[in-house]
Amino acid sequence: MNSLIKLELTRALRNRKFLFFSVVYPSVIFLLVSNQTGDVDGSGLSVAKYVMVSMASFGALTAVLMGNSERIAKEREGGWVRQLRLTPLPGRGYVLAKTASAAVVSLPSIVVVFLVAAAVKDVRLDTWQWFALTGAIWAGSFVFAALGVAIGYLASGDAVRPITMIVYFGLSILGGLWMPSSSFPTWLQDIAKWLPTHAYAALGRAIEQSQAPNPQDIAILVAFFLLFAGGAAWLYRKDTLKA
Amino acid sequence: MDDMTTTAATATATPVVGFDQVSKTYGTVRAVDGLSLTLHPGETVALLGPNGAGKSTTLDLLLGLKHADGGTVHVFGTSPREAIVAGRVGAMLQSGGLMDEVTVAELVKLACALHPKPYQVNDVLARAGITQIADRKVNKLSGGQAQRVRFALATAGDSDLIVLDEPTTGMDVSARQAFWATMREQADQGRTVLFATHYLEEADAIADRVLVLHRGRLLADGTAAEIKAKAGARRVAFDLEGPIDEAPLRGLPFLTSIDVSGQTVRIQSTDADATVHALYGLGVYPRNLEVAGLGLEQAFVAITAAEEAKQS
Repeated sequence: MNSLIKLELTRALRNRKFLFFSVVYPSVIFLLVSNQTGDVDGSGLSVAKYVMVSMASFGALTAVLMGNSERIAKEREGGWVRQLRLTPLPGRGYVLAKTASAAVVSLPSIVVVFLVAAAVKDVRLDTWQWFALTGAIWAGSFVFAALGVAIGYLASGDAVRPITMIVYFGLSILGGLWMPSSSFPTWLQDIAKWLPTHAYAALGRAIEQSQAPNPQDIAILVAFFLLFAGGAAWLYRKDTLKA
Repeated sequence: MDDMTTTAATATATPVVGFDQVSKTYGTVRAVDGLSLTLHPGETVALLGPNGAGKSTTLDLLLGLKHADGGTVHVFGTSPREAIVAGRVGAMLQSGGLMDEVTVAELVKLACALHPKPYQVNDVLARAGITQIADRKVNKLSGGQAQRVRFALATAGDSDLIVLDEPTTGMDVSARQAFWATMREQADQGRTVLFATHYLEEADAIADRVLVLHRGRLLADGTAAEIKAKAGARRVAFDLEGPIDEAPLRGLPFLTSIDVSGQTVRIQSTDADATVHALYGLGVYPRNLEVAGLGLEQAFVAITAAEEAKQS
């Protein structure tokens, strides 16, 4: 199992395109968007602080969602999943290794945005806030790792990329990771606040504001995690019986 | 003496593979239909059959990739999955994919790490003949090279049973010969080898035992020689002068088929010596007499054709 995690990780770190989009790209957007001065309406946070959490969450989302869904769908179709079932590796091992390696890559996606924000945009937070932010955004990314696994078992090799893209951009934009959802029309805001990405970013902002997280956001994240993980487990079992 | 001890050991040892009345249905198609078979330690067994005969489904059931609708499958007396977890089975599937974007050596290293009784990575690479391409990315391999990598994955550790589904697909003749030489080494170390193939000469040349599968049922089970015998093992051909009276010819002993065209008579016989002896006894004078063995391919065609005739 460890050997598979190590190999998955080696492969992820070797993939420049994947590293660019999950680690470099969020920081680039951060620098482009955080130029405005002043506060984001109603949050009491500077634009830089606000966007920092958005982009750290976005980067983690990219790392865990993009890698998992497409690889699982393709490797299911290509027969690698079958080949692994001929080894003593437990059935869940494949999915766990994928998730673990994605979780390792998501950590630099978060930290690099923080470093850029602190160095270039002078974002200052208390030490506990930096650690809590890193921990919360990293832990929250498992919700989307589970979603990536579910999509990987749901979609065929041809369909997986468009489906992942729609889900990825839909969740990023509607959840307010690219622009504050307070700039949306009211009807869209009403939808956005139920999305896991919205709750995800809200969790980080609460830490920046030194506030306790909103129980509704926690509940939404937990509910989506159970939904995605349950769905992934069900689809995995269905796939195993079919194979 | 050796034979006797082998036989005694075979009779008492736990079978390597035991299928008991196994069935598997997809919709209305019975891919495997009440199949029972036993493999014994040390055998090299070919699973032979046309496309759609149920070979791949049989191997999937044996490896626990599919579950039987009826009957039981045992591998070393346990479930297929338990046997795999114990490291007793190495398998190479046609449908077995490889992990992309990693090198051959990395992939083989993974297979060794996952095996409970692993060999050294370098030895596995050498035995599969892929040392030279060890640093190449898996997605940049030719079909034959990929097959060798699959073989390396199947032999990454000290397994007791090796299962191969059409292993030489995509290999040229010399690669195929090299492959079987490697495979023989595996068998000579006392392993049980089961391979599915539709290259009949492979079954003929390599297997101690041939299982002929047709429409999910076991049609024949024996040595290649016995399978040939079952189909009417030898061909006898000769010419006769004058008008040919078929009736006495049809009465020849051990005759399984007869075909008269012009002055030429072609016979298949399960005991050519006795048939030819009786032929002289009829008082005819056969000219240009030829007695030849039946290839396994013809035997195979004869057996499946006979079965189809029986069913229709």
